[in-house]
Amino acid sequence: MTSEEIVEKIKNDLGDDILSVEISLGDAVVHLLPPALPKVCEFIKNDADLDFDYLSNISGVDYLDLDREPRFEAVYEFHSMDKNHSVRLRVGIEEENPSVPTISHLWKSADFPERELFDMFGMNVEGHPDLRRLIMPDDWEGHPLRRDYSLTTEDVAFSFNRDYKSELVKSKPPTR
Amino acid sequence: MSITENGLLERDKDTMTLNMGPSHPSTHGVFRAILEMDGELVGTAKPDIGYLHTGIEKTSEAKRYSHVIPMTDRLDYLNPPGNNLAFCLSTEKLLGIEIPDRSQYLRIIHCELARIASHLVWLATHALDIGAMTVFLYCWREREEILDLNEEISGVRMMTSYIRVGGVAKDATDEWLRGVRKFIEHFPAKIDEYEKLLTRNPIWLDRTEGVGVMSRESAINYGMSGPALRASGVDFDFRKKRPYSGYGNFEFNVPTRTQGDVYARYLVRVEEMRESREILVQAMRDLPGGYYKNPDSKVSLPDRDKLKSSMEVLIHHFKLASEGFKVPKGETYVPIEGPRGEVGFYIVSDGTAIPYRVKLRAPSFMAIPGMCKMMEGSFIADVVAVIGSIDIVMGEVDR
Amino acid sequence: MGLIDSAVDALETEVNNLKLNAQEALDAFEHDSAGAVYDSILTTQLGKVVGWAQKNALWPATFGLACCAIEMMAMANSRWDSARFGAEVFRASPRQADLMIVSGRVSQKMAPVLKLIYDQMPEPKWVISMGACASCGGIFNNYAIVQGVDRVVPVDVYVPGCPPGPEALLYGVIKLQEKILNEAGTDSAKKRVA
Repeated sequence: MTSEEIVEKIKNDLGDDILSVEISLGDAVVHLLPPALPKVCEFIKNDADLDFDYLSNISGVDYLDLDREPRFEAVYEFHSMDKNHSVRLRVGIEEENPSVPTISHLWKSADFPERELFDMFGMNVEGHPDLRRLIMPDDWEGHPLRRDYSLTTEDVAFSFNRDYKSELVKSKPPTR
Repeated sequence: MSITENGLLERDKDTMTLNMGPSHPSTHGVFRAILEMDGELVGTAKPDIGYLHTGIEKTSEAKRYSHVIPMTDRLDYLNPPGNNLAFCLSTEKLLGIEIPDRSQYLRIIHCELARIASHLVWLATHALDIGAMTVFLYCWREREEILDLNEEISGVRMMTSYIRVGGVAKDATDEWLRGVRKFIEHFPAKIDEYEKLLTRNPIWLDRTEGVGVMSRESAINYGMSGPALRASGVDFDFRKKRPYSGYGNFEFNVPTRTQGDVYARYLVRVEEMRESREILVQAMRDLPGGYYKNPDSKVSLPDRDKLKSSMEVLIHHFKLASEGFKVPKGETYVPIEGPRGEVGFYIVSDGTAIPYRVKLRAPSFMAIPGMCKMMEGSFIADVVAVIGSIDIVMGEVDR
Repeated sequence: MGLIDSAVDALETEVNNLKLNAQEALDAFEHDSAGAVYDSILTTQLGKVVGWAQKNALWPATFGLACCAIEMMAMANSRWDSARFGAEVFRASPRQADLMIVSGRVSQKMAPVLKLIYDQMPEPKWVISMGACASCGGIFNNYAIVQGVDRVVPVDVYVPGCPPGPEALLYGVIKLQEKILNEAGTDSAKKRVA
């Protein structure tokens, strides 16, 4: 199916559960809210025409600097192995107590990326069987990929844009 | 079951908890698995990653697009050109620029050489883990040839950063083309050599056949990709299914197996090396002339030899290299087929010269839960065989 | 008398002459340098001998972290062949190794593990910091990477490069060998085992 047919079908069959659909640079994109995610996922996985049996990727995005509502977004990328088409689900997540339901009961591959969402963005993945920090140490403070988390711990001696660089530096004593 | 606070193994039940890694010669980097053992059998395997977390995704949010490319090299350090290509394809899709044919071909040659080099490291270390030392030395011999070719064209042995947004860094030299021709001429005999050592070797068969079996359904459900997916009977290769970068012009087979065990993954990868060599033969035969990068001066750096004679070109070079180019607003994801499977960058652009968000879809990262599933119920000695057959690279797992 | 017998006689005479000449030469040599060679003693410190032995049998720990580990493996392979310098026996267990090649970036999560492995190595031990990331953080000045492994363990030789080629790493090993030999028998060598 082409991207147009995919978004048309999803719009027709799940009109109430999704916010909007679009074609972005040729990719089928569906916007929705967190509560609808498991239902939409179940539909696109089990529908015979769509048949999205492969979860490729989950990305978190923090739109803090762009002043966009809602602040967070989780982006799901699906492929169909037999039909050879793809769709992208973009789930907007509120800044207050960010949480998104799990889809790891549908795709086992969602296990790690969802834990990464928790680790890197501090999103609470509801219903995840084992929600712990994945990459950072257990006692780490903060969620590094949030935009308000500083990038570096040490100042750079030479920089063409000192003001910009100093914004990135976290006031933390050097390690060990 | 877990390790007690002072690091001792807990032995209150019949099972024993065994810690493997993060510093272990057979975990291919700093992967750590906590195995619950029942005698010699593995009960459950819990992965623990993050020991190589480099913060590349966060660092990319503070660098210009062309400055991110050298960092993508260091994600999957066995396949730097593939990462460069994935990043450049996503950026080029946002920019909406066309790539000349010659640079498409040069990219493909570069990527396929890297695929062979990556598979050679996989074969070397995988065989070494299982106990075959000779293959290790043989594979590195051929890999050194490819690294010399990399050095000739980009100046670096491993982290080439040769593929840039808009084309490639510089045109192919005659010596490089000669070297590639020489390599593809004698490489098939070398693969025969490896196969002679392993393919029908009874010890190799005993260690690999029926080990770490994964069915078609669970391979898809666990998000395996690349050779691990194709060894389980899924005929899916982005080079074939969604030809990018001009792969549609080439005739090659996608090797698949249905057994889904370690031996099947070995066969698929060895066969892939032969197919990559086929692509190289066709690419060298049909290599078109023309310019090696997009002539759009807003994106591509000017030619180096003009820098010494023209002040305008020098200023332009300086401005483009330090300020970068602006990328239109939008977000995109372009998957490509790396040696380990689907590689792609999800890039969010806010219209400036710095990417707002860069996220790597790493095949090894997605494969780890499935790999640990394969270990369960197998012997402890088979754990290294399973890890070797998935060919994880911790650089892209932890990012 | 046959032809063969005469030839044999001639040969015997020749050999005897040669023997006599050699004996004479030896006697003359012994006379000239009586007591100078046979009775001489090569004096050195025991520490120097130990250092010389350690220099030529470095056992690196198999401690691969990132990209540089691939070049470290290349160094051990047939083309570069670190066996020529006595540094090819990679030991999987740190307890059997006396050289740690920190090959790659050290993350905050890995740093305690690295320190533990270093502590497990028997003394005397040496550390080579391979590559820009291990030496100073390299291009990754960020929250995740320890800005130089010398904050965790003492480093003897820094090898620059990203990643350094096997020839650069071999040069680093040779420099370390020079350092071991120069240090041998001095107080700083004693401190290493204290």
